[in-house]
Order: sequence, then C-alpha cells, then structure tokens
Amino acid sequence: MSYTTTMNDDAHHHNPTGWRRWLFSTNHKDIGTLYLLFALTMLFMGGASAMLIRAELFQPGIQLLDPDLYNNLVTNHALLMIFGAVMPAAAGLANWMIPLMIGAPDMALPRMNNLSFWILPAAGTMLILSFVVPFFPGGGSQINTGWTLYPPLSVQVGMSMDFLIFAIHLLGISSVLASINIIVTLLNMRAPGMTMMKMPMFCWTWLVTAFLLILVVPVLAGGVTMLLFDRHFGTSFFDAAGGGDPVLFQHLFWFFGHPEVYVLLLPSIGVLSHIIPTFSRKPLFGYKSMVGAMIAVATIGMVVWAHHQYTIGMSLGAVSYFMIGTIIISIPVGLMIFNFIATMWRGAMTFETPMLFAVAIIMMFTFGGLSGVMLAVVPADMQYHDSMFVVAHFHYVLMPGAVFGLFAGVFYWLPKWTGHMYDERLAKIFFWINVTGFNITFFPQHFLGLAGMPRRIIDYNVMFTEFNAISSIGAMIFGFSHLLLLYIIIKTIRGGEKATAQVWEGAKGLEWQVPSPPPFHTWETPPSIKQVQS
Amino acid sequence: MNSPEDELKRKNIRLAWILGAFALIVLITAFPFWQNIFKVLGSAVK
Repeated sequence: MSYTTTMNDDAHHHNPTGWRRWLFSTNHKDIGTLYLLFALTMLFMGGASAMLIRAELFQPGIQLLDPDLYNNLVTNHALLMIFGAVMPAAAGLANWMIPLMIGAPDMALPRMNNLSFWILPAAGTMLILSFVVPFFPGGGSQINTGWTLYPPLSVQVGMSMDFLIFAIHLLGISSVLASINIIVTLLNMRAPGMTMMKMPMFCWTWLVTAFLLILVVPVLAGGVTMLLFDRHFGTSFFDAAGGGDPVLFQHLFWFFGHPEVYVLLLPSIGVLSHIIPTFSRKPLFGYKSMVGAMIAVATIGMVVWAHHQYTIGMSLGAVSYFMIGTIIISIPVGLMIFNFIATMWRGAMTFETPMLFAVAIIMMFTFGGLSGVMLAVVPADMQYHDSMFVVAHFHYVLMPGAVFGLFAGVFYWLPKWTGHMYDERLAKIFFWINVTGFNITFFPQHFLGLAGMPRRIIDYNVMFTEFNAISSIGAMIFGFSHLLLLYIIIKTIRGGEKATAQVWEGAKGLEWQVPSPPPFHTWETPPSIKQVQS
Repeated sequence: MNSPEDELKRKNIRLAWILGAFALIVLITAFPFWQNIFKVLGSAVK
C-alpha cells in the first residue's frame, strides 16, 4: 500500500533547546529518542548480567559467583531485558513512527506522553535498587525468585522485593499510560482518508499490543499488590497456611506473562511488515489476513496462560484445553510467516542490514515457534519443564521475534531519524557476528535441556560441560557484538552520507514523505491521502 | 462554537478516560482482594 500526499506544512519552528527540551518535551520524536536511549542503556545492563551468568556456567563448579548472586542475576537479567529494554524500545519506535505514519502532528496526549516516559527512569532506578540493596547493611536477602516472583519464596525475600514490587507498579503505570496514548492517537488522529484498513501494519500491531497491555498489566499490578499485602499486612492470598493458594499467584502472573510475550513480539512483527515489502519491492502479501491473524494471536494468547503451569496438577480437562489452545496459536502465527515469505516470493530483493535481520528472524523465530509447539504438548512438557530446553526455546522466540526485530527497525529508520545513512559494511558485520553468536549461545542449550540439565542452577553435572562451554563462548561473542551496534549508532548520529527523504528505494508510506531528519514539527496540516496502490 | 482542534482534544481526552477506567476495572477484578479485605477486617473486629 502506498500513498500520495498533497500537503506537508512544516513552517512551525519552535525548537526548545538544552535540558528543558528533554525534560519537558511533549514532542513525539524527542520522547521516542528518550525511550530508545533508555532501552539501549538497559540492554547493556541486562546483557552484562547475562554474560556474568554464562561466564559462571562456562565450567561446572562454582567459579565467579555465589548461588544467591547467581539467582539475583538471573532475575535481574529477565526483568531488565523485558521491562527495561524491549518494551521501552518498542515504545520508542511507536513514538517516533506512529504520528509520522498516520499523518498526525504528534501523539494525541503529548503531556501524558512525557509522563509515560519520565516514570521510566524512576522505575528503572527502583528496579536496579532491588538488585543492589542487599549489598548494603540491613539490605536483606537477594532476590532469588526469577522474574516470575512465585510465592512463597517472594514472600520470604528481604526488602529488595518491595523495591521490585514498587518498580513493577511504576512500569505498569508507564505502560498503561503509553498504551492509552497510542490507542487514542491511532483511533482519533489519523489523517483524513486513512481508514483503519489503510493504516500501516506497524500501527496495527501497536494498536493490538496497546489493547493487550491495558488488559493484562493491571492483572500483574493486582498480583504484586496482593504479594505486598501478604508480605506486610498479614493477608494470606498466597499462603496455604492462612487459607490462601500460592498457585493463584501463578495464574495471575501468567495471565499477564503469556500475553506479554505477544506484547514483545507484535511490534517487531509490525517492523518486519514494512521492511520485507520495502526490500522485496512488493506490497505486503495479505494485509487483511495479517490484521486478522494478529487479532487472533492476541485473542487466543489471552486464554492459554496456564501452559506455563502444566506441572502444578491441573485437571485433565484443563490441561487438554490449554494444550489445544496453545497449539492453535501456531495457525495465525504460521499465516504471518507465510505472508512474509509470499511477500518475498519473486520480489526484486536486496539484502541491506534490515532485510538480513528480517530473513534471519523468519528462520530463527519459526524454529523457536516449533520448539514452542513441542513444549505445548503436555506429556512432553512434563519432561522438558524447567530444563535448559525451555531457556533455548524462549530465547529463540524472543531474541529474533522481539530484539532482532527492534534492531532491524533501528537500522531501517535510523537514516530517517538522523538524516545520515549508517555504515552498511559495519552493520552487516554486526549482523553476522550477532546472529552467529546468538546461535552458538542458544542452540546447544536445546541439547542440554533434552539431556536433563535444569535451568536456574549455578552448578551442573560434568556431563553437560562441553555444550555449556560452547554456549558461554557464543554468549561472549554475542554480548560484545553489541558494542559494535553502539559504535554504528553513534557514528550515524555524528555524521555520514546524507539520507534522502525516501531513504530506501522501495519504501512507501507517509513517513518517507517528510525530509530526513524530519523537522521538529511535522504534519501540522494533515496530509490528504489517496490510496494509489494496494 | 468550538474549533475542530478543541473538539478533537476533547474527543481524545474522553477516550483516554474511558480506556483508563477500563484498565482500572481490569485491575480491580483481578483481585480476590475485597473478599480477603473483609476477612482481615472481620478477624480484626473479633
């Protein structure tokens, strides 16, 4: 789908400067940049935790860390990556691109947009404090629950859990406010002529994601609030001795946790829906079916949460339902993958870095999805549960499905944001090191899990040594490769070949009609849209 | 007579409140909270 525009009035030139520009910003581009910088910072912190974990697991025995610190790192790696890196990065792309794509001058509620972002550094500080306070006198025990925070362990942990609960509340408020803003923007601020079914696919994916967030984040907030009450106010929501049920927390957590997977995935699917048509020089195959598939994924994804809990002792009817529901999700997801492949079919393809990532994502995400179907099968999951196989599976889903999608989006839109082309040669080197490092890290973990190595342990049987050593070497390659990403981004911001407005030959959509970089204010007069090709 | 900008602003704020209220309902219904609050209050009275 492409559009013609009749007007682009950028005559408004009120550009605030200095720290006020960032602190008080109501400009969607500046807030998008802030989100992306925050996410990049958290990516490196979460990555450092992961590298410490893998350094410890390089050999059997306990070398670098003590068990408590190891558990702390496992917990903070997950929380930093999910809440600190991936979600804010996706929100950063949304802030930057949605108004440009739909011809809106800004987000619908710009001040709330500022608030949504500036809650994040406070939340991030609380999150980091929750890992750090145990190292101070009177700081209590380290967080050892993993990101799932299951009671009774989470009731027994020291004050660091209170910091974490507060951080989750703040992160939740930020997410819900951002989601409300995105929904209102997409429903009310589209340029005249842009009907819902002409909306760019990235906007559709974010519309569904935002609704998902509004539906599930409050449930997590409720769960952790009850946890807080159990810890401090004498309630026993999750304490069997007081008539409560610890499994209730698992249900509440996964009612949030499973849709959260789609919250992480869908924005990247949206990014791919732009990159693949651009570099195949063809329109997206099956636009309507993509929209339908995405809504189906989100809807079914809301009602299959307990496949994370097969081993808790549910009835046969319940596990059968959750198993069948989970496997059914592979149908709409498969349809999306089919549409991507059909878009590439007989296209005039070129393989710039965003497209390289897109093709790699299709292959690796499909692989992660297939191991997900294995885990969905109850009797098989009874064997794989809590093994390294699960770790391999979800990293194959979330790294390609979410993080690589965001990398692809950053490379795709970086010339638009900065006005400079990035160094394509360096970016391709980054791609190959990154993807190779990723596969060396996580592919052997399938074998470790199938051979019986449990997850979340600091030490392991010597029979697992070789694959763990390979995995750790891969993790170092993978981890350090991100320094190259940082260098490429800084280099692009500082200068380089000037980018044109369209940037990519095959790019279509309103965002490519504004100059690169876009002026501070765009689409102050809404463009008039006429569909010229579908 | 309101300008179209004012009208749009009002429409945006109204929809934001509706979505916020919806999120609040989801939060509250996620709690078996009230039942247990009553239990706690009941035992405190005893």
